[in-house]
Amino acid sequence: MPTSLFQLSRKQLLRAPQLEAKLAIKILMGFVILYFGGSLLFLGIAVYPILSDQFPERDPISIINSVLVLIFIFELIIRYFLQQLPVTEIKSFLLLSIPKKRIIHNVLFRSMLSVYNAIPVLLYLPISISMFKDDYALDQVIAWWVAVTAFSLCLNFISFLANKNNLALAGFVVLLILLYLGESYLDIEILRAVGYFFDALITQPLWVLVPLGIFVLLYQITFNFLKNNLNLEGSLAAKKEVANAGRYDFLDVFGSHALFLKNDLRLIIRNVRPRNIVLMSFLFLFYGLFFFTQDNQPEAMLVFASIFISGGFLLTYGSYVPAWDSEYYAFLMSQNLSYKKYLDSKWRLMTFAIVVSTVLSLPYLYFGIKIYLLILSGAAFNVGLGTWITLYGGLLNKQPLKLNVKAKAFENTQAFSGKLFLMIIPKMVLPVLLYIIPASLFNETAGYLTLAASGVLGIVFKNQILAQMVKLFAKEKHEMLNAFSQK
Amino acid sequence: MPLAKNKHMITATSLTKSYGETTVLNIEQLEIPKGQCFGLVGNNGAGKTTFFSILLDLIKTSTGEIISNDIAVAQSEEWKTFTSAFIDDSFLIGYLTPEEYFYFVGELRGIDKAAVDLFLETYVDFFNDEILNQKKYLRDFSKGNQKKVGLIATFIGNPKVVILDEPFANLDPTTQIRLKQLIKAETEKRELTLLISSHDLNHVTDVCNRIVLLERGAVIMDKETTAKTLQELEDYFSA
Repeated sequence: MPTSLFQLSRKQLLRAPQLEAKLAIKILMGFVILYFGGSLLFLGIAVYPILSDQFPERDPISIINSVLVLIFIFELIIRYFLQQLPVTEIKSFLLLSIPKKRIIHNVLFRSMLSVYNAIPVLLYLPISISMFKDDYALDQVIAWWVAVTAFSLCLNFISFLANKNNLALAGFVVLLILLYLGESYLDIEILRAVGYFFDALITQPLWVLVPLGIFVLLYQITFNFLKNNLNLEGSLAAKKEVANAGRYDFLDVFGSHALFLKNDLRLIIRNVRPRNIVLMSFLFLFYGLFFFTQDNQPEAMLVFASIFISGGFLLTYGSYVPAWDSEYYAFLMSQNLSYKKYLDSKWRLMTFAIVVSTVLSLPYLYFGIKIYLLILSGAAFNVGLGTWITLYGGLLNKQPLKLNVKAKAFENTQAFSGKLFLMIIPKMVLPVLLYIIPASLFNETAGYLTLAASGVLGIVFKNQILAQMVKLFAKEKHEMLNAFSQK
Repeated sequence: MPLAKNKHMITATSLTKSYGETTVLNIEQLEIPKGQCFGLVGNNGAGKTTFFSILLDLIKTSTGEIISNDIAVAQSEEWKTFTSAFIDDSFLIGYLTPEEYFYFVGELRGIDKAAVDLFLETYVDFFNDEILNQKKYLRDFSKGNQKKVGLIATFIGNPKVVILDEPFANLDPTTQIRLKQLIKAETEKRELTLLISSHDLNHVTDVCNRIVLLERGAVIMDKETTAKTLQELEDYFSA
């Protein structure tokens, strides 16, 4: 009997629509996971010997222990944003005569089978093995590994609770901030204490009961939470929000495009997925900090950076245009809607974001006027050409999007479609060429000018390009509708 | 001759749609005159939604074409200026409030906010205090109420052609009756070509002056509605 719930989830996979595409994704996903997994494994194997060499006077395991808390926090953040618990199917099970307890245990158990829980195995197991080879006793090694694994699994549940219950999330964040402040300013050594705890654990393996105990406690808390909320009214049910009826009349300056721009703004603000993507695109502004702080970067990298800095929104949000409208595409296509205005308003939206990013990146002047000139040229390219290349890619891609659902990592088949890779070439390689070739032949200024001029050309010929896009848009209409209606 | 052509609002000629080996729609000739209230019935898979989708140029035909008010639907966009439809909930924008949705549709049809407000006042009863001023997004309304919004929005701007796919489904009894009254009022107010598909034989014979029965994509019955039509349909479907 317990196995049949697993069999059901197996059938869910095998009978999913577009099985071939989904299988292909899963296989590709497998490769990516292998890559990350392999890196983690490599790290796990390599870190102990490296530390032994670099710091011969200290125990390598002691160093590892002191950073464990940072690893845990980092892991928790990644899990919070990317990991999802398999609760969505619970509703259909509620009606069958399966005891609630069994459903919940099944869900919790399946959550522990998640890919993220391979971290203890890949990262910590090799470290434990190195420990063992370094003459630590077997019980010490096992205790250490069990303890870290238990903590990691605890993060599994903490992430779930934080996701489902905003109080829990706030609580954890506040707790972390307090601990950090306490540590930095008041010398309260709680975060460091985690490191000491693990050191103590090695000397006295029986301490492993503490993390195990915390694990059991968290499992129980999560279990109770699910038990109390396993009905249509609990926090597992869809949230009914109070509408914020934003009028966004300030967009009326855009005249006839305001209609679409207002809806796009509402789309971004009121739906989880675009909201998260826009928040994420802010991070692109900081890309330069990676590249500009290192000397002797190849010039290609600098050009990349300048494209990324102003193009965050373009690359993240823009790639999915018009898929954002996929849920009501049929509606839009049957209305008296000017394709030209529709596409133009998307262009304006992305241009607006690029301009704002360019202004927000003024602090990069700190790195010198040349860097900022590069950013400006990159922005010009993004506005004049990058927007159209992205839109073109979006029209060819045709994958439907659910708006108010959190995106799963690697759910996005677009990441692996050949066409998207094809789009990357003009979007990223072209600007590099536009800069590098003149810069090598003449000088840097020639590089800036060429890159910027390409963008300006795109702006000058905008209406012609727009007209071509409209034709393509009309041509792709039926295929898009067909693709968007597959659920 | 041009005069004869203008008599019909919608003409379907040699219309077929096939998916692989299966033909889901096969209509040799179908003409719908202006101002007719046209009812389409049939079991599931009969081709009703396919027909409407072709009429709205949402899918391509395998052969043939539909002409609406002398405009070939698949070749020009002009028909969108006088056509309006509500097929399913993909015709709603979930993250808008009903008011925002109405204003959006209004603006696409050149109707300003004040005119839309005036228009909505006539439907106060139909909305039953559950639609306007609720401070909720469309996706958080019940299915029935979502449908009410979609249905009323189709009438904004007085389009000449309105297409409703199973409008009575999912509506509560009061609303179904009010919808019938609404439809009759609209068709009396002005010349409106209204196409409705339905599983509810009672409602559709009550409201429509012509019924067409589809079975596996072909027209089996096509007649003006009389007092006997309901019985004829019931006899057909119980066979």
